[in-house]
Amino acid sequence: MVGVPRLKPELYEEGEEGAIWLSGGACECGHVFFPWQTFGCEVCGRHGADLHPRRLSGSGSIVASATVHLHAGKGRQAPFDVCVVKLDDGPVIRTLLASVGDPPQPGRAVRAVLVEVDGREPGERVRDMRFEVAA
Amino acid sequence: MRALGDLRPVYAIGVGWHPYRYATEEPYVTLGLTAVRQALADAGVEWPAVDAAFIGTALLGMASGRPMLRHLGATGLQLVHIENASASGSAAFRAACLEVASGMAETAVALGIDKVIPRPRTGSGLGGLAEDAFVAFTHFALLTNQYAARNGVSPEDVALVAVKNHGNGAKNPNAQRQKARTLDEVLGGKRISGTLTSLQCCPVGEGASAVILASEDAIRRLGVDTGRAIRVTASAVGSETVGAGNDADASLTRDVIARALAQAQIKGADLDVLEVHDAFTIEELLYAEAAGLCGEGQAIHLLKDGAFDIGGQCAVSPSGGLIAMGHPIGPTGVGQVAEVVTQLRGEAGARQHKGAKVGLAHMVGLGSVCYAHVLKRD
Ligand SMILES: [Zn+2]
Repeated sequence: MVGVPRLKPELYEEGEEGAIWLSGGACECGHVFFPWQTFGCEVCGRHGADLHPRRLSGSGSIVASATVHLHAGKGRQAPFDVCVVKLDDGPVIRTLLASVGDPPQPGRAVRAVLVEVDGREPGERVRDMRFEVAA
Repeated sequence: MRALGDLRPVYAIGVGWHPYRYATEEPYVTLGLTAVRQALADAGVEWPAVDAAFIGTALLGMASGRPMLRHLGATGLQLVHIENASASGSAAFRAACLEVASGMAETAVALGIDKVIPRPRTGSGLGGLAEDAFVAFTHFALLTNQYAARNGVSPEDVALVAVKNHGNGAKNPNAQRQKARTLDEVLGGKRISGTLTSLQCCPVGEGASAVILASEDAIRRLGVDTGRAIRVTASAVGSETVGAGNDADASLTRDVIARALAQAQIKGADLDVLEVHDAFTIEELLYAEAAGLCGEGQAIHLLKDGAFDIGGQCAVSPSGGLIAMGHPIGPTGVGQVAEVVTQLRGEAGARQHKGAKVGLAHMVGLGSVCYAHVLKRD
């Protein structure tokens, strides 16, 4: 797996011992957000240099999950599983689960992992972030 | 901030539709003209008496109004187009209400109209992990899972919303789906996302709806039947706040409906008719609770007891709701108001909720934005 490029390197990185960090941010007011941006803080409106990059732990718990049986959009083949996760560091985010079928239910602890998937170009392989049940 | 009730009274005097239906090749112009002509005839007024037109459309694109409305007579009236996602029609209705209530116009028409024209949203510039995976029905499949886990409700329970609303739609000649469905049919349909099946998801087609509004002066001057004029007693609006999380549509709804009810000086339990944004079954349960018809997690019990049926404690989505009447986007919010007007007049025929005196129309739009309007029979 090492050496396979990340699909969205601006959104997540790989730390020591395989831990995945999300590239979030924090405002001077204390608000923590994902993804990283300098447009402005949703709580207080501070922007630019008042916002600081912050690595967010990939650990969290399931808020909601579902198996998508039929997808209305190109570039993604159903079935796949999706989840809403409350990160231990605060933000609520949504993305894909690593497994398909019988998704972990609300309250279950999950962690971010990188899994190898097809890239945007034919034959290309990349690693993208998913959530899986925490060991 | 001032409320609608602080301004002069405004009344709905005429309603009309072009039936909602699956996409056709027919130009939008004939859809819109059909709805406006029906509303004019219903009000008993002529087009030149209308001072302003507010057109709610999310998909028709720039300047669609004049090529349509000029065929009623190009009177030179004020013409405005309003886009607010699924709530485009509700936004047009509010603008029309405020124009009349403020005294800027004596009469106005809110026209909701759309065709099936896919239009991608402009990106914000921020990336997302897998945002393309979260189309509307998947967002609401997740909310279904969250609600079911919190309240111990089964997928079969949630599907009962669709059984009720398809039954109501079967009595509505303007509905896109006019066929009563059994629970087995709803549950046995195509699986879409999570536990949602196709008959629990609204169809997005084409159509039009129109409501004509007037001041008391205009009603007198135009000789409108005051017995059929229905007063708009509240208009409340809001958008999502920070930290609302995955549940933003319900928390926003709770806030906006509470403000509308306060303006109208009533409680949720006083509502006879409630038209909600039930694009997906779970939404009706969430919004019935948010409207104060019952406590959190209780909606399913009331639904099973028939409390939300026509003839029950409060008729919820007597039109068939978005699930059966359809959700052609622009027309939806205006059409809800037209349904409430029809119910409060006692003119809803086979789907009439007897003795209806006060009703509320609620929409959410992507963003999220939310609208609530209360109408009351004098
Ligand atoms: Zn801040």
